[in-house]
Amino acid sequence: MTQLPTLSLIVFTPLIGVLLLLFVPGGNHRLIRWVALLASLVSFAFSLMLVGYDPAGAEFQFREDLPWIEAFGMRYTLGVDGLSAVLVLLTTLLSAISIFYSWEPIQKRVKEYYIALLLLMVGMLGVFVSLDLFLFYVFWEISLIPMYLVIGIWGGPRRIYATVKFVIYTLVGSLLMLVAILAVAIAHGNDTGTFTFAYEQLRGHSFADALQALAFIAFFLAFAVKVPLWPLHTWLPDAHVEAPTAGSIILAGVLLKLGGYGFLRFSIPLLPDASVSFAPIIIGLSVIAILYGALVSMVQPDLKKLIAYSSVSHMGFVMLGAFVFNEQGLQGAAFTMVSHGITTGALFLLVGIIYDQTHDRQIAHMGGLGGRVPHYAAVFGLFTFASIGLPGLSGFIGEFLVILGAFRFNGLVAGITMLVVIASAVYMLWMFQRVFFTVPSDWMRRWWPSLRDMSRNEWIALTPLIVLVVALGVYPGPVLELFAAPVERIIDAVNGAGVGLGPLW
Amino acid sequence: MVTDLVTLLPELILAALVLVIITVDLFLPRQQKWLLTPLTVAGLVLAGAACVVVWDINETVYSGFYVVDDLSVFLKGATILIGILSTLFAPSYLRIRRIPLGEFNTILVSALIGMCVLASSSDFITLFIGLELMTMPSYLLTGLHKTDRYSNEGGLKYFLLGSFASAIVLFGVAWVYGLTGSTNVAEVAAALEGQMSGALLVAIGFLTVGATFKIAAVPFHYWTPDAYQGAPTPITGFLSVGPKLGAFALLIRVFAEAFEPLRADWLGVFLILTVLTMTVGNVVALVQTNVKRMLAYSSIAHTGYIMAGLAAFAATDDPDVAAQGIESVLFYVLGYGVMNIAAFAVVAMLQRDTNRYGGLNSFAGLAGRAPFQAGAMAILMLSLTGIPPTVGFFAKLYVLLATVDAGLEWLAVIIVVNAALAAFYYLRVIVYMYMRDPEPEPAPLDSSPSGSLALVLSVAGVLLLGIFPGAVLGLLEVSAASLF
Repeated sequence: MTQLPTLSLIVFTPLIGVLLLLFVPGGNHRLIRWVALLASLVSFAFSLMLVGYDPAGAEFQFREDLPWIEAFGMRYTLGVDGLSAVLVLLTTLLSAISIFYSWEPIQKRVKEYYIALLLLMVGMLGVFVSLDLFLFYVFWEISLIPMYLVIGIWGGPRRIYATVKFVIYTLVGSLLMLVAILAVAIAHGNDTGTFTFAYEQLRGHSFADALQALAFIAFFLAFAVKVPLWPLHTWLPDAHVEAPTAGSIILAGVLLKLGGYGFLRFSIPLLPDASVSFAPIIIGLSVIAILYGALVSMVQPDLKKLIAYSSVSHMGFVMLGAFVFNEQGLQGAAFTMVSHGITTGALFLLVGIIYDQTHDRQIAHMGGLGGRVPHYAAVFGLFTFASIGLPGLSGFIGEFLVILGAFRFNGLVAGITMLVVIASAVYMLWMFQRVFFTVPSDWMRRWWPSLRDMSRNEWIALTPLIVLVVALGVYPGPVLELFAAPVERIIDAVNGAGVGLGPLW
Repeated sequence: MVTDLVTLLPELILAALVLVIITVDLFLPRQQKWLLTPLTVAGLVLAGAACVVVWDINETVYSGFYVVDDLSVFLKGATILIGILSTLFAPSYLRIRRIPLGEFNTILVSALIGMCVLASSSDFITLFIGLELMTMPSYLLTGLHKTDRYSNEGGLKYFLLGSFASAIVLFGVAWVYGLTGSTNVAEVAAALEGQMSGALLVAIGFLTVGATFKIAAVPFHYWTPDAYQGAPTPITGFLSVGPKLGAFALLIRVFAEAFEPLRADWLGVFLILTVLTMTVGNVVALVQTNVKRMLAYSSIAHTGYIMAGLAAFAATDDPDVAAQGIESVLFYVLGYGVMNIAAFAVVAMLQRDTNRYGGLNSFAGLAGRAPFQAGAMAILMLSLTGIPPTVGFFAKLYVLLATVDAGLEWLAVIIVVNAALAAFYYLRVIVYMYMRDPEPEPAPLDSSPSGSLALVLSVAGVLLLGIFPGAVLGLLEVSAASLF
């Protein structure tokens, strides 16, 4: 290979950081943090090369293809299209930010912490760039364990319950997906004579109806748990509440996107007939998720839980957009993933800032912060509005497109969804009011003298997100242009499927 | 005749090693007994090298009693690898409990000879001799801690039930001889082509019961927890994989070779046993709070996964897929052997405090006190769970691939549901090591250079075989091909 293996460099630079960290003495926190930060920044720098992706060029660019386990047709195939390129950038950016932000809050088992975060990065990035189903699965599973450790070791009081729930939910889904991957690959091998896990080869193949249906259910369980789609979401609030701040940022910012990405990249193009047939059910679940997430958010007493449930609602938008199968919906789904990653990541970071000072996240315990820490309040306000979907900020574009797509699908669905947008304004603004306006609670008064506004490091961590949330809101064109080709391919696949599965029973 | 002897090279070296160990042990002063470990390892490595010599011979020798095909050589290599790891892990545990090292090494190598004979037998008589040669030393090993009553109890139970099972196997062999007029595996297979009768059913029944007893499949598993818990822990590690490997060699020889023409008939029973074994093993392991007992029950579950490979062999008419089933059995046995012995070894390191006796709480906060051992144990637990990139994952994948390929998709789903269930108790160990604070008086940790070396080797093997299994796959393919 003459050209630089960009994607391998992006994915494995964090791993090099891990190997270096193994040789750093555990007591030298300063060095550990620098090594980890540097590894993530180098990976980020490499990922900036993906900006050179040419939307008019080949579908998958920056390809790498090496034999891996030849006996089973497993290959080390990497490549990105517009969708994955954007998600890779989001991942490296948010990972670097969370590693940077963990500087102060994490004082316990520092070395293990950064090793876990860097391994998590490897897994997530690998998922986004794999073009071999088996390789994809390996990275998918690799991303599971570090998150398990991050929540379980550095989390809050009920961390063990939360982390075990997280792992068991995810593992059941993903193991079933493994069976589905094998079944799909074997069926393709039996039909064509070449046994392979290569995504591009499997994609065009039309599988038998029964296999499609079962495989779709298996894929669905794996991805829907990650998204998480109602009613498989119950691990999410627990995991978020107990996770340390950086864990929450990555969880909400990137990990949930693995699910959405899985649907867009694998479920729909590989199993288009089943996707068409199951779409009404999934749309129904998405609408419930949107509604349910918003309503439950309203009554949350805990800031983190509120944002966690609002994520259920936002990810419901992603699922809705993905399964209405039209350009606007799919564009909106992809865009919402990115925007939600930035907004929610930032919100969790902001909650972390106040939590580190007061060790409390109860909304009832706050109040009046706007007067005491004005800069913090302003930034928080910005992301609150982005989350609501105020025009001019990134959240608006995605949700607007999804609703537009939903309208083309069915007026009633779009109508319900639209109402929820109002509900989201209610819970976010009400939260904002109780935290930043009104009179400070007695609890908050105790911390009053020691409260400080945003520190320099917090500004550094948040500035890229602030810039992005505004930039994407004002000028989403380039990103949407990147999404255009992948979206078109999905629509082609679905249109090719026609009416979906024949009668199965 | 000389060439016949060459084909026996690994076994001959092992037999000579037994004699050398006994002799050297006599003359070594007490302080220098540790020399027995490097001596044994050197002998085993030599025997392993001999396996390379007999690779690719593929001959039946000694009037059809003994076959040296690649399948048997692969199994011998795996046997010797397990032997080396067991030898390296044992000394620190044995020394503290004043269990004589020389006796351990002698008996261990004897058991290895039995496993090698079992792997190579092409006649029911040789098969039975190999079986006894393997299990007799296993009984002794279980009861090796003479002053410990649990060890005695475990040894006695194992002996009583084990000899019962051997008798059942022998009775089954007698029926087969009566029906076919031969004890030779190939001739039996030829005679059974297209036949099925009530008497044959009895023969298959006896052999199934006896063989599944040896691999500890449900419902013939009741001896395992007591025998495994009673035995000195490094020996438990060996028992959970060594005799199991031997017993799977027996299963392959009997069911995949002699009863191959009848595979459609024994498949049904096998499927039921497979599902029962993995599910019961997992469910019971779930409620154990003692890591040693947990690993013992989970080894039953793993038996179930391995049996699934054999079921895939029986369920298909496509020889390629059938070969894949056998390959998955071989790979699983090898990978499981390495990871389980190492996991038991880590448990053994924490067992000096007999009150806790390897309970989960002796692992509390281990990551802070002993990062190396905790890290190794964590990787082993992940591998046993089946998380990539470890050998445990690839072994499960292989079995899944074979079962799905053979059209047993539902079995694959049961396997993965079980694997998710198993995650719960394996990850609990990681929870204790990494997420709990250590107890006020943490359990003391015994480590020895040889044990650490073996741990590094096993963990490296677990990871390397997980990421680059290609190296072994070629060997597997050739090995399994000798059956077809």
